[in-house]
Amino acid sequence: MIFSSIFFIFVFLPAVLVIYYAVPFRGKNVVLLISSLIFYAWGEPIYVVLMMLSIGINFVSGLELESYINAGSMKKAKYACIMTALINFLILGFYKYYGFVIESLNAILPVDISYKELALPIGISFYTFQTMSYVIDVYRGKVEAQHDIVAFGAYVSMFPQLIAGPIVRYSDVERQLKKRTISIEKFGEGAVWFLRGLGKKVLIANNIGSVYEVIAAPGVSEMSALTAWIGCFAYTMQIYFDFGGYSDMAIGLGKMLGFDFIKNFDYPYTSKSITEFWRRWHISLGSWFREYVYIPLGGNRVSTPKVVRNLIVVWSLTGLWHGAAWNFVFWGLYYGVIICAEKYILKGWLERLPDAAKHVYTMLLVMAGWVMFFSPSMGSAAAYLGAMIGFGGKGLFDMTGFYYLKSIFLLGLVAVIGSTPFVHRKFTEFLWKEDRYMQVASVVLYAGIFLVSTAYLVNDTYNPFLYFRF
Amino acid sequence: MEIKRTRERRRKENRKLHLHMAYCFAGMVLLLLAASIIQPDRKTSEEENRVLAGFPKFGLESIKNKDYMTGLESYASDQFVLRDAWISLKVQCDFLAGKREFNGVYLGKKKYLMQIPSEMDEKNTQENLEAINQFYKKNHDVLMNTLIVPNAAYIMKDYLPIGAPVRDQGADMEYIRKQLSGDIGCIDITDTLKQHAKEGIYYKTDHHWTTRGAAYGFNAAAKSMDIQGIVTEYKIYTVATDFSGTLASRSGYHKAEDTVEIYEPENVEIQYLVNDSDNDEKRPTLYDRTALDGKDKYQVFFGGNHAMVDISTTNDKGRRLLIFKDSYANCFVPFLLPYYTEIVMIDPRYYYDNVQTLMNNKGITDVLFLYNMDTFLTDNSLADVLEGE
Repeated sequence: MIFSSIFFIFVFLPAVLVIYYAVPFRGKNVVLLISSLIFYAWGEPIYVVLMMLSIGINFVSGLELESYINAGSMKKAKYACIMTALINFLILGFYKYYGFVIESLNAILPVDISYKELALPIGISFYTFQTMSYVIDVYRGKVEAQHDIVAFGAYVSMFPQLIAGPIVRYSDVERQLKKRTISIEKFGEGAVWFLRGLGKKVLIANNIGSVYEVIAAPGVSEMSALTAWIGCFAYTMQIYFDFGGYSDMAIGLGKMLGFDFIKNFDYPYTSKSITEFWRRWHISLGSWFREYVYIPLGGNRVSTPKVVRNLIVVWSLTGLWHGAAWNFVFWGLYYGVIICAEKYILKGWLERLPDAAKHVYTMLLVMAGWVMFFSPSMGSAAAYLGAMIGFGGKGLFDMTGFYYLKSIFLLGLVAVIGSTPFVHRKFTEFLWKEDRYMQVASVVLYAGIFLVSTAYLVNDTYNPFLYFRF
Repeated sequence: MEIKRTRERRRKENRKLHLHMAYCFAGMVLLLLAASIIQPDRKTSEEENRVLAGFPKFGLESIKNKDYMTGLESYASDQFVLRDAWISLKVQCDFLAGKREFNGVYLGKKKYLMQIPSEMDEKNTQENLEAINQFYKKNHDVLMNTLIVPNAAYIMKDYLPIGAPVRDQGADMEYIRKQLSGDIGCIDITDTLKQHAKEGIYYKTDHHWTTRGAAYGFNAAAKSMDIQGIVTEYKIYTVATDFSGTLASRSGYHKAEDTVEIYEPENVEIQYLVNDSDNDEKRPTLYDRTALDGKDKYQVFFGGNHAMVDISTTNDKGRRLLIFKDSYANCFVPFLLPYYTEIVMIDPRYYYDNVQTLMNNKGITDVLFLYNMDTFLTDNSLADVLEGE
């Protein structure tokens, strides 16, 4: 089930919320857990068992760790923590990377191991990272072990962030699992987030994405440079509004249930460097890697060669997290290298550039990154980048390019403006002027977004959710 | 102090907004949900030209393979209140945003809807062409022709949204000509159709050509089919003025309507009987009047596609024509009547009998393959029927 569907918005969500609000507080986690399991089983009636298993293992491991720590045997605790981490990685590795590893082995070694491609359990990358944050933080003494399996299960499986994040760290919601504010106001705040996310996903991402699909389908031999740029632009906007919209919806649903999650995107396309971009893009993933990989490796408090090593390790893993294929690894490394370069080489040079040039520099690199990301192989990525500088089949410009430009123009403009804080800032400025009419106007605006999105959902022929692949 | 007060005020304002939003959102969801529940389920959608999903059957197996879940989701979406109104709202928004392609259909000038031609299925196309060649080898004493009609998006280029990419069906025609053995006629009516592109030779809302288009096509093809002394005068009857075809359904764009015409040759005395594989009765007409009351008014020609249609006429010249065809033939065949003693139409998508036996039993003298380019390049049934095992 995805949030942007008639069934979720008009059947599942109201049903869950009515029950959730009706039961007394101590029953709410139970309702949340059960509805999350149903939500997951909806798409994965078999793999839901795997998730429950993962919940069980990590829950027990947390208790075990606690008892070792209380007994003062840190060695045992360390061992247990590593074991649990290993189990989590093995499960994730088996389902996500098994085919990839064997394929790579077949390519490198003179062997031909046959294998059966396994279907990737939805959201496994997300919930594995969540359970890991719990186990590691218990070991470090940052959080207490959870003694209530319902609360723990609700944390891992919580349907708002289950299939596409944000990756909520246990330490961020530890207290909320016990006590949280649930009110009509907060529900309304959640509705605002949810509708904003729904609009981003349904009105902008899906529509601009369909332009990308149409452009990419016939291959670079049919592309002029203009067409290739429009395609790349369309994908750039699609992935941001898709993923960002989904995160907004998750945060909104969280608020409806009384939770506060950290925000996952902070206008990434307004960044002035790649380093800044990754502080604003998929924040929950970046901070997870910083907290549990980069800093344990020594972070940037070690010698320069080691810092470079740490960065490269973190970024290869970040790439690999996005998908089990070599182009994702290269994509990650690409950012690792750029971030190293920005840290040690480009720093002074970048600072002297005017702001506009910094934006252009960042967006060019980001868009080139997306080409690697959406291409099925490095070869086709190179071909696409070639098409962008006129080495496609149709030269620099052609009428087809203008057709695409015309069909994407308005939407593209909305997307560009929407990816800056401009609209939101203006909007809130007006809103805070204590103007009754502005209040009414903004409610009408959100209602309008809701109605138009509903129209698109009813007509749903095109609604693939990009981040299901991860 | 000042800042604190501002913050406090902002919080309060936000609070008000959030309260309003809470009631607004919950109200809208519950209202639409209630309306959808109250509204009785519809079986079919006229606008979309399909059966709507009903409530799925519950069962362990259907849960395991997710049929039950997807069934429920389709049910919720298909039976959502005012479904058709939502869809037209969506198309309207797309249009305002500058979109000119809806679900594989271009919206061109003068409200012309044109299906985007498909890519060639190379394997099937090659097999079909090879099967035609083989079929000719076995029946080389008959006059054999192919008439592949290009589609609207290719012929009516000037009507497309500017720059909209379309498959080059001229190149496809060239490919077909090269693959066919030299003794088979490859009738190319592209130029004729292009000359008359502005005269309404394709429907605005449907993927077929109009009777007028077929008339031009017939005039251009007659010579290759060895038809002499063709009729030039026709009486034209308009049988429907409110035809909304498959492309309107597919795109959701319902702003145009089409006229359906029937051409009757003048000054020709000919009687005929029509018989098809789906009805026992022989009838003295090519047309199915009841189709005019239904949605798909193109079915007025022969009542739609049948595995086989057999027309015997009072013409005594002794020529007997076998046509392998798709639905483009339905409005074309009426033009052929005065010149043949018998015409047999076979739609390979539904036909499973042996054609060689049919050729011999009927004493066929002429064979025509009549398809539109889009169907021909994706068809996977012709070769099987021709090879006839």
